[in-house]
Amino acid sequence: MNMRRRPFLILLLFLLFILQGTILPWLIPNVWEMRIIPNLVFIVILFITVYHHRHTALLLGLSFGMLHDVIFYGRIIGAHSFAMGLSAYLIGLIFQIPRAPLPLMMTVVLLGSLLGDSMLFAIYSVFNLNNEPYSWALLNHMLPTMLFHFAFALLLYIPLRRQLELLKKETRKEENI
Amino acid sequence: MKLFKLLSNKRLFILLFTLVLFIVVMGFSLGTRKALSWPENFLRDTTGFVQNVFYKPAGYVAGLFEDIGNLHDLAKENESLKITVAQYTRDKATYNFIQADNERLQKLLKFTQAQKEKYDYEYHIAQVVSLTTEPSNSSLVIDLGSKDGVKTNMSVISVEGLVGVISEVSNFTSTVKLMTMMDSNDPNSQPAIAATAIGKENSTFGMIQSYNQETKRLQMDKIPPGDPIAVGDTIVSSGIGGLYPRGLTIGTVDSVAVGEFGLTSTAIIKPKAEFEDWKQLIVVYTEERTE
Repeated sequence: MNMRRRPFLILLLFLLFILQGTILPWLIPNVWEMRIIPNLVFIVILFITVYHHRHTALLLGLSFGMLHDVIFYGRIIGAHSFAMGLSAYLIGLIFQIPRAPLPLMMTVVLLGSLLGDSMLFAIYSVFNLNNEPYSWALLNHMLPTMLFHFAFALLLYIPLRRQLELLKKETRKEENI
Repeated sequence: MKLFKLLSNKRLFILLFTLVLFIVVMGFSLGTRKALSWPENFLRDTTGFVQNVFYKPAGYVAGLFEDIGNLHDLAKENESLKITVAQYTRDKATYNFIQADNERLQKLLKFTQAQKEKYDYEYHIAQVVSLTTEPSNSSLVIDLGSKDGVKTNMSVISVEGLVGVISEVSNFTSTVKLMTMMDSNDPNSQPAIAATAIGKENSTFGMIQSYNQETKRLQMDKIPPGDPIAVGDTIVSSGIGGLYPRGLTIGTVDSVAVGEFGLTSTAIIKPKAEFEDWKQLIVVYTEERTE
């Protein structure tokens, strides 16, 4: 029973990745589809960085970002990987508080979502791939996406936190043995 | 002193190292690539398979609800379709005459086989597997791959018009970069589309090569002076160059203005195929010609 939770976590992330590419586009109304860019995997990774450890979050962010980059390879590889990994790590560096209450966690989700999207924007700007100003991008898709992520994080807060705390207990037990 | 301590930090070193590594990877993937490496192929094909299991059923369920919602529009739609069919049958007769004439003339003028088959395209239907709507990288994945003969830069169309081009191909899936990603700054961007207007096929010409995300409009450049293009014209691809098939609907003209240097005009075009949840798309197989 002991080692069950970690593979389960990775499976959950993979499932969320599949969902955000296949089912969510059908649920979000067409008008909003260009403005809400769901990244559910990243939200769960933010939970991991706060309640578990930032190194795990860094690794998960890098690998799932890379998955996204390879699957939806339109322009460059590595943008999502870099943005997700680094922003999860930075958020963890500041907010790694295993006992963080709900309001703090929600602030983290909002900040993390904004940081991740901004980092993506910065990467595309460096490679001269977007012509729009940051203010437009902020209003057009970053803020709606933040709100969407906020709602999703509220939905996920209780079950995910419980699981992550159990996972932490497991790892602690292993270390003691 | 504090700075040295910061620099000898192992973590910071690793961070900087990965930063450099990432920039190298991004720069490498930015250029044109002939084919994908095997890890990419494997990852894309396996994930594509799983996504396929999810996307289609979700589409059917969503479609059912949509159909129920559209029930009351059915009679109106039926009427307009009947009118279109009547027009189509009339046009079909004229078309057959013209085609027969054309073939006869081609024979008389001794067209080569390649010239005759220039505009024979193969259309293959493809299922959409998943999509992302991120503004800087909108793309969707379809379930046709190199095993089905898909190659990069083939056009992908919906019933309304041009949707995008194939950007990367793996064995069983391929990525479609939407037309909204067209950008003249991007070295990897899809090639410009040679376009013309319906009814003015021989006198109008322009190149569509960028999309403005803020105004959601395409830009058609290099229109020669004295061109009869006007607001409201329907713009279609002209097939010049051979990359894009002839006659794909692109959009309607919003406005025409004199371009940057005053020599050519620029038209702003409203795209016909708006973004939506596509179930099926059509890949146009253009004949590969040796040049």
